[in-house]
Amino acid sequence: MIYLFFFLVFGFLTTAVIGLLASWIDRKVTARVQYRVGPPLLQPFVDIIKLLGKETLIPRGSSKTTFLLAPVISLASVILVSTILWVNNIWPGKTFLGDLIVVLYLLTIPSTCMIIGGFASRNPLASLGASREMKLILSYEFPFILAILVPVIKSNFSLRLGEIVAFQIQNGVILGSLSGVLAFIVLIMCIQAKLGLVPFDLAEAETEIVSGPLIEYSGTGLAIYRLTKNMLLFVLPFFLIILLIGGLRFSGIHLLFGILKYVGIVALITVIRNTNPRVRIDQAMRFFWGPMTVIAMIAVVLALIGK
Amino acid sequence: MKRGDVLENINQRFKEEIIDVIDKSSTRVYIEIKPCSLVKVAKYVFEELGARFNIASGLDVRSHMEILYHFIFEEINLLISFRVKLDRAKPEIDSLTPIFEAANWIEREIYEMLGVKFKGHPDLRKLFLSDDWPDGVHPLRCDYKEWDRKAIRDRGV
Amino acid sequence: MSVKLKALLKSPWVFHISTGSCNNCDIEVLDCLTPRFDIERFGILLAGSIKHADLLLVTGSGNRKSMEIVKKLYEQAPKPCLVVAIGECALSRGMFIHSYNCPVPVDKVIPVDVYIPGCPPKPEAIIAGLVKLIEKVKGTLKKKGK
Repeated sequence: MIYLFFFLVFGFLTTAVIGLLASWIDRKVTARVQYRVGPPLLQPFVDIIKLLGKETLIPRGSSKTTFLLAPVISLASVILVSTILWVNNIWPGKTFLGDLIVVLYLLTIPSTCMIIGGFASRNPLASLGASREMKLILSYEFPFILAILVPVIKSNFSLRLGEIVAFQIQNGVILGSLSGVLAFIVLIMCIQAKLGLVPFDLAEAETEIVSGPLIEYSGTGLAIYRLTKNMLLFVLPFFLIILLIGGLRFSGIHLLFGILKYVGIVALITVIRNTNPRVRIDQAMRFFWGPMTVIAMIAVVLALIGK
Repeated sequence: MKRGDVLENINQRFKEEIIDVIDKSSTRVYIEIKPCSLVKVAKYVFEELGARFNIASGLDVRSHMEILYHFIFEEINLLISFRVKLDRAKPEIDSLTPIFEAANWIEREIYEMLGVKFKGHPDLRKLFLSDDWPDGVHPLRCDYKEWDRKAIRDRGV
Repeated sequence: MSVKLKALLKSPWVFHISTGSCNNCDIEVLDCLTPRFDIERFGILLAGSIKHADLLLVTGSGNRKSMEIVKKLYEQAPKPCLVVAIGECALSRGMFIHSYNCPVPVDKVIPVDVYIPGCPPKPEAIIAGLVKLIEKVKGTLKKKGK
């Protein structure tokens, strides 16, 4: 019974509300940077409600079941990830061995479901966007996993998220050491690619391929995809905070620090988004397999030495 | 070559084919030629003198039909237009597409809008008009009449 | 008024169709999205695909060829969908009323909700037209002379 409570309230509702507010912050800051007034506060919520009221059109000749199930599976996996992360944060003792690996596997599902949805649409532009997304996944998964090895190594080779958080409460945040800083840099760039934000938003590039894999989605399917993307905007920085900056604690002054940590990471993502152009797919691959992998390997070696 | 030399060449070479020369300004010259000698003149101007075919324009004057072919000499900043006058009842002329490919689409457009038949054109069919347009009706002629029964032509005021 | 329409008016996503225009009206529509007349503060975003569209902005006098395409596009837009005709050519074909290629005006092919006159209409006029559309759907549009 308690798990159902956690699943619904923490996994879904809290994450959805905070994620939609974070996407409002992102749009408002972008508008201010471009010297205009942005949308009002409840705009992302109204977007989702409006999309739920439109009719769903299925293209002729597409595979219906895959087309309709793909967004639902990605939403389910994001809810699961957020439940695991919240449980780890509130009760560090109630974790299970290897939940870090489970989270890593579950985090690849939203992008994969977007690819499946794109290929099920029977549209050449959707296939083009989906193939670009596939190449992007191939490039950023490797430095992502290497950079996650750093907190694992530093907290005495433990694979439980709860033990990483407990280690940081005792010995200070992992971000304070040199290997932590390098891992932070790599993870921020990988998060930009996972969320599909500039400079790596080539799968959904608006002006080039007309919103990529999502071109045939309308109504409820599109609403679920947008909700998933906004929930990822909360889940991924939360994952980063748990790994490298000590997790959110809800006692006294640490609550304020927690909010500042999260808002700081969202602000960093927004600043990177507003100051960069979009890159091509071969430039993105060269970036992730070149400098990012090298930095991640240096960080792992430094963590092994003990710095 | 200079402007005077170009005009001298054309005048000398095609003395019996040229009907009229209008020297309008330093950059524009209109030369009227007979329809049967169009291919010879175009081939000479394109290959020997090195001009570039720009565009062709067709118009329906009430007594006859005219087509002007515009050739540009870029180094000396000169545009020569060759005018051919065609019979209005049965307008026909040789096509320039075998000489240079640039004349392909403009001849298709003149065919569908004015009804001029180009002999020797490899693929003479409609270019801009929609698929349900009836054959034999040419919109830019003087005597074009409305054929569409479902068209609405009043403002309703 | 139902919740669906209320939410639609608060965040209408715009799709732009040009049926053979001289592109002046298209430039004025683009001006509305720039920082000076920013319409993102009303929640209006430019949608790339017709399946994401709530509001169709139609410019240009209706060609024979492009009217078939506009009819197919209107059927592909998920309902509820509203249509706005911008510029004189989209209202009544303007000066092309006797042209051989424009047989019927746009609103005989797809149902139009709001007409915005002008050649081209200023961005302020386009925004005023969108406000009239919102008032009309809400049912609070005041008739002149009442």
